Amino acid sequence: MVLLSNDEFLAELTKLFQKARLAGSITMTMKRYDGRSKPQPRDGTPAVKNPEYKCLLRAQSKSKKISTVVEQRDVEKFSTAYSNLLKTSVNGLKRLKKPKKKAMATQ
Amino acid sequence: MTFVPNWEEFEKAAEMLYLQDPINTRYSVKYSHSKGAFNVKITDNKKCLQYKTEVQQDVRKIDKFMSNLLRHMASNDN
Repeated sequence: MVLLSNDEFLAELTKLFQKARLAGSITMTMKRYDGRSKPQPRDGTPAVKNPEYKCLLRAQSKSKKISTVVEQRDVEKFSTAYSNLLKTSVNGLKRLKKPKKKAMATQ
Repeated sequence: MTFVPNWEEFEKAAEMLYLQDPINTRYSVKYSHSKGAFNVKITDNKKCLQYKTEVQQDVRKIDKFMSNLLRHMASNDN
């Protein structure tokens, strides 16, 4: 598991998507992260007091694993970039029906 | 390992699951280009919900949900 900066993560993820096009799959996982780097103490006291929550993202394809931590201040920027990446990379699914002509004209 | 048949139900149930225990809930998506399959899974280690789709339009909805979730995870709301 390699911890990357947000931009590096997006770049690596793009590569993973390209590699997994012919065969294999990609899994992306996200969860809330309180910033702790030690195990939870046994007596039940929280490891991090007043945590500033972040979001931990992991991606895995075949044996390659990458991860990144998104800080609160970077959320907007990251989520836009991440959505764009998904939109361009996930394009192998069925399209049900074409959009109506009216909708096309208004765009 | 329950598959929820439609997205709206999944979204609602997933949100409930997450809000009950935000710190222990993880959300994963799996995409296989060659098989044309997109799977979504959310679990808090007690309950697990899944949704699968083969339709491109669903990805937009899933993506929207993901950005909302991302925003909430990286914030101090409970």
